[in-house]
Amino acid sequence: MHLGLRRLGSTPLTLKSFLTYGIFLQHVEALEILLQGLCGVQRERLRTHELCLKSAPNLGAVASEVRLLCDLEQTEPTWTVRHVGGAMRGAGAEQISVLVRTMVESKVSKNVLRLFYALGYKLDHELLRVGFAFHFQRGAQITVTVSSVNKMLKLHSTDEAVPVTPGIQLVEVTAPASPENYTEVVAAVSSFCEYLAPLLHLSKPGISTRVVPTAAAATASLMLDGGGTTL
Amino acid sequence: MNGVKEGRWKSTLTFYRPVIRAQDQALTSELRRDFLGLSMHDQPNKYYFIIRAQRLVIEADLSIQTIMEKLQSYKMRVALNFEGIQYRLGDFLLRVGKVAPINSESLRGIVLEVEYLPISSLEKGRQIMAEFLEIWQEAVSKRSLPGHFKHTEPNFAEYGLSDHYSSQHTAVQYAIVMAQLIASAQLRS
Repeated sequence: MHLGLRRLGSTPLTLKSFLTYGIFLQHVEALEILLQGLCGVQRERLRTHELCLKSAPNLGAVASEVRLLCDLEQTEPTWTVRHVGGAMRGAGAEQISVLVRTMVESKVSKNVLRLFYALGYKLDHELLRVGFAFHFQRGAQITVTVSSVNKMLKLHSTDEAVPVTPGIQLVEVTAPASPENYTEVVAAVSSFCEYLAPLLHLSKPGISTRVVPTAAAATASLMLDGGGTTL
Repeated sequence: MNGVKEGRWKSTLTFYRPVIRAQDQALTSELRRDFLGLSMHDQPNKYYFIIRAQRLVIEADLSIQTIMEKLQSYKMRVALNFEGIQYRLGDFLLRVGKVAPINSESLRGIVLEVEYLPISSLEKGRQIMAEFLEIWQEAVSKRSLPGHFKHTEPNFAEYGLSDHYSSQHTAVQYAIVMAQLIASAQLRS
């Protein structure tokens, strides 16, 4: 699991954590119990169809990529366009335990895929993320998502999706931040992630992480206790 | 016509063009179409894209413009302001304005936007709108003003839009109006 920070638009940064190898499926329920206890909010279900589009060759000053997210949990599916920029580099970036990236999102009407095809973008790949999320305030507005990442066997066929890594789910921790407050946000997210340590270990993208040796015991304890145990 | 002046309004229409590397003629031909962006006076938090050739209209948050800038695949070619004064005539809102490139006073046309407030159904409002336009054309003709107002109703269904009028319908109409202005200018020249 690793930490990433993203800059939203021209001001806020989003802190993002990725699980490099994923949490094992047998620990997900325990993680949910732990998160329920820590966050104090109800979880939200997550079912998102994610389409990654890339610009046609020779289109644009540089090659570009954009993601279209379709929230399938809503009664009427809603669409979002997301652009993720390059990572912050330099001595400052290396000092912090997170990856800093710019992220801009826009809600958009449902024919957005046709728009980008008309603009010369092509579908590179698509995924279906299924799981849950917690949104809460703890020194920063933090979001934790736990999801399986699935690939579609047929184009756009979300009903026929299979896990990319069977038995393993992706855990992400994100928080919006700005150039003025990102150190506080980094501290808040890092501090929160410490509570997940019995089950998960976070690291920056590109830095390998490890199986947490206490995961099985922590899971057993949480499942027995239903979240009452202090880890 | 005893209209009550209510204030100023402004919408901005932008023509975008693709950024093509390496003189790719095939890609240039493939993407040769009007790709328009529109910000509207009564939807300050929204932005619209219209591609008439594909009968496509999109509504998005304002941040879509930032995304397009970051993608660097399309650039602004020219932008025009539609701006003027809004009047209230009973159940009708009228917005009269001039069309000019931004940073220029060069007039490209006059636009009249008519909104009938009580009804959102295109079908149900069609007759009363037609009657109003008849009255308007008659009033204008008596003033001997140069030019004439032209109204073309798009086939909204082709754009996937329903009978219930929305801002996306307005965006399509702006694109049609722009096409008419260009056609008129080409005829005059």
